[in-house]
Amino acid sequence: MLKNWADRLFKWYCNPDFYPDIKGDLEEIYSDHLEKSEKLAQWKYLIDVALLFRISLLRPITQYPIIKDTGMFRNYFKISVRNLARHKMFTGINVIGLAIGLAGFLLINEYIRFERSYDSFHEDVDQIYRVSYVQVINGEDGDKDAMSSYLVGSVLNEELPEIIQHTVSKKFDPMILKNGNVFFKESGIISADSNFLKLFNYQVIQGSKETFLNEPNSIVLSRSRAKAYFGDEDPMGKTLQVTTNYKATLKVTGIIEDLPDNTHYRFDMMISDKTLDGTHDYENWSYNNYYVYLKTAPGVDVSMLDDKVYAATGKFIDGEDADVNNRTRLDIHPIRDIHLKSDFYFNPQPLGSQKAITFLVIISIFIITIAWVNYINLSTARAMDRAKEVGLRKVIGAFRTQLIIQFLCEAFLINLVGAIVALAIAEISLPYFNLLVDKVIVDHVWNHQPFLVSLVVFSVGGTIASGFYPALVLSDFKPIAILKGKFHNSKKGVALRRGLVIAQFAASMVLVAATFIIYLQINFMIGKDIGLSVDKVVNVLIPEDDYEDEEGRQAFLNRFNSFKESLRSHSAIETVGGTSNVPGGDENDINSTTSAVSIVGLSDRLEGTTYVQFTDDQFFDAVDMDFYAGKNFDRSIKRDTVSVVVNKSFLERFNVADIEDLLGEKMQFGKKETNRKYTIIGIVNDINRTSLKTEVEPTIYLPWMNADNLVIELNDINYLAGIEHLENTWKDFYPDAPLDITYLDERFASLYDQDKRFGDTFLVFALLAILVAILGLFGLSSFLSIQRSKEVGVRKVLGATKTQIVAIFYKDFFVLIAVSVLIGSPIVYFLMNSWLDNYAYRIDFPWWMLVIAGALISVFALATVGYQTSKVASLDPAKTLKYE
Amino acid sequence: MKKFQLGEFEEIVLLTVGVLYDEAYGVAIKNEIENRLERKVSVGAMQSALRRMEKKGFLDSRLGEMNKKRGGKPKRYFTITAFGKQALEYSKDVRTDLWNSIPEIAFDLKLV
Repeated sequence: MLKNWADRLFKWYCNPDFYPDIKGDLEEIYSDHLEKSEKLAQWKYLIDVALLFRISLLRPITQYPIIKDTGMFRNYFKISVRNLARHKMFTGINVIGLAIGLAGFLLINEYIRFERSYDSFHEDVDQIYRVSYVQVINGEDGDKDAMSSYLVGSVLNEELPEIIQHTVSKKFDPMILKNGNVFFKESGIISADSNFLKLFNYQVIQGSKETFLNEPNSIVLSRSRAKAYFGDEDPMGKTLQVTTNYKATLKVTGIIEDLPDNTHYRFDMMISDKTLDGTHDYENWSYNNYYVYLKTAPGVDVSMLDDKVYAATGKFIDGEDADVNNRTRLDIHPIRDIHLKSDFYFNPQPLGSQKAITFLVIISIFIITIAWVNYINLSTARAMDRAKEVGLRKVIGAFRTQLIIQFLCEAFLINLVGAIVALAIAEISLPYFNLLVDKVIVDHVWNHQPFLVSLVVFSVGGTIASGFYPALVLSDFKPIAILKGKFHNSKKGVALRRGLVIAQFAASMVLVAATFIIYLQINFMIGKDIGLSVDKVVNVLIPEDDYEDEEGRQAFLNRFNSFKESLRSHSAIETVGGTSNVPGGDENDINSTTSAVSIVGLSDRLEGTTYVQFTDDQFFDAVDMDFYAGKNFDRSIKRDTVSVVVNKSFLERFNVADIEDLLGEKMQFGKKETNRKYTIIGIVNDINRTSLKTEVEPTIYLPWMNADNLVIELNDINYLAGIEHLENTWKDFYPDAPLDITYLDERFASLYDQDKRFGDTFLVFALLAILVAILGLFGLSSFLSIQRSKEVGVRKVLGATKTQIVAIFYKDFFVLIAVSVLIGSPIVYFLMNSWLDNYAYRIDFPWWMLVIAGALISVFALATVGYQTSKVASLDPAKTLKYE
Repeated sequence: MKKFQLGEFEEIVLLTVGVLYDEAYGVAIKNEIENRLERKVSVGAMQSALRRMEKKGFLDSRLGEMNKKRGGKPKRYFTITAFGKQALEYSKDVRTDLWNSIPEIAFDLKLV
């Protein structure tokens, strides 16, 4: 035993040139020793073998492969290549199908990998959390606001030993920054304190991360933004002017590397927290306008901290005697889960959607399965062709394993070629794919390791998934039956093939119907009457001035008012209104308060969020908002602080029979009797200020006659003249500031960009899936019709017409398509109905869509089948029956 | 620079191949060395020396008969080449030279 083992070892490493005679020597010595004791002889043999392991006796690596028996493999390979080259249609359909399937599957996978990678690059990411305000109403979580108030971080850090670090950051509205005459509108500006980079380890290029955010009016730029403003100059110590929001001059104190795309809190610039000293409302625990991040000690389970957190902060937020069921809860959310697994409002940037990811996973699995099924179907359908070959091989003495290896080898070759083509397709289509999902997932796939690993795994996996069953079936034929000519397609095989075709077309039908439904919903949202008319309405933001005293303020206001008057004087400009929040923004683009609200003397305090917008008297007119009852603000009342216009949803919460009765009543926020009372002077109809994913919000409109976000309604016909007038007037009044005109209809349309992208992605991959399925059906129908060519011949001889023959073929496939539509329909319903539920305003499930999708699939399928069958049906029976 | 690369063990193996003349195959060489020099020789050390010297051109080899005792494997007979003979002679000359150069006195001292 020992000897055998030693010998195998020796044979493995020894130079084959030397092996025979040395082995002979060893044997001779062994038999000499054998006379004394077998055990001794074996051990000596082993020792000799061990001592023979010398460089001069080793097998040269290049000259002789380690595996010696390559003969059969070469044969399998050769036969496979010949087979594949001979059946070009079979090979082509499979390679193209697999390549498309793999490329689509892997690209989607890459996107999903990217979406799941959000924030995972931070050091100690599992210890970093964001603190958010969650309204608890009657014991249940109500509105969840991603933001917190300023002191939450430092109080928790002081009171809880489990928390070792905190930082507070504010995300600014877009600002225009200027260096000389270079200016840009920047939407990625945040404030940061000196702890920020201790939690988030972004790479610092210039400046010291310990100190560069310590002084007021300091700004740290990303590398590419620094280049945009300063070119190749050294930006350190240079200054940038803020022309909007905060009038300030900021000194560049540091440069950081550009942030990766996959973080939930992306920014290009950090302004030191101390710059905002004057504007911070530190003590106000209801002023939740900051993103607060915490870092815990390693191994801390934050779910155990809830009580401690409440003990430390509850007294500040809700007071000592707060009702546990109606309070604010601080939610500590791991940052890694923010992008896909959180449902907060007021996010710094749009989140990803777990649901979209799930849908994409489904598509990707569909698409690759369809491709694999093609291989199974086509290769088992070819069983008749291969049966004789198998029979003959078996007669000559092939083992079944060898036949299995032979067929697997073919499957592997097809998968390999498919994988190479898939890599090429993926690389070429990557830029378009990045456009489709509007993110740069990766720059290239050919050198992206995870992609290549998946490619190899799935092409090998695909070989086994798709190749194993056909290999088993084909190698199982009984040679006697075959060679006697008594071979028939097995019933089981036919049933399986039918099942697979049904599955393919059910999947295709699901994708088609889903795509249609997504587009229907998007069109519904874009076309729905939202209570506003924003056609030919534009928005400009008035630059803030750097006034220091009342006089400066007056001068600013005078200029502002004469600017508005000058606009109004032109015939092409209908209305000029002002507001704090322009309609058509994202769901965060609004103010809100979570103070309980009551109608004085008529109602109890009502918990929940109230949304607040500040507007002047012209705003409602500019966007065509209708008054349900009451009247507009009165411009002649200077500094009106008591009037309020509310929307219908706001009043409907109070459960009164007729909301008009509330007109003229007073409303009040909070608990204190002394809080300001507002008189409800007007009620407007509900409008949807943002996407139709959200319900109409209970909103109040407070008067602000000098609202600086202008909403300008242009004349429908000569609106271009209006724009020109706006541009000229702007130059007269604000020559230093860049003019940035936004069209409100575009603003509303862009709300659905994400949905449209989702629809487009779905469409592309649904088309690819159908293409692959049709390819498969094309191949399958051609094999089946050729196999039935004799039957067709007999039928023709007996008088069947071509139409009748095609109809016979159609009958089979039509049944399959019908069954797949039947199976697909409920799947479509469950998937898409739950998708539609994401939207506050959704279409009813369009049942007729199932019919359309089914009809479309049938047309595609029957056209494919028809082409093949009519070809066979027109063959001359004399030819097909010649050899019978 | 050395003219011939010949180690001590190699020289012994090479000489033994010469001694055995026509019968110099692995086991025979091994036994011969073990008998004459009364030292243990491992197959590995000897074989690697043989192959090395064959590569250097000191030895030539041919395959011989096979028998059952050898598990059906052939013997490989080695013979010294002319070049091998030169190497041996060179080695011997060097030693003789050295012997001759030793002053008599070096040995005499021992007799005191």
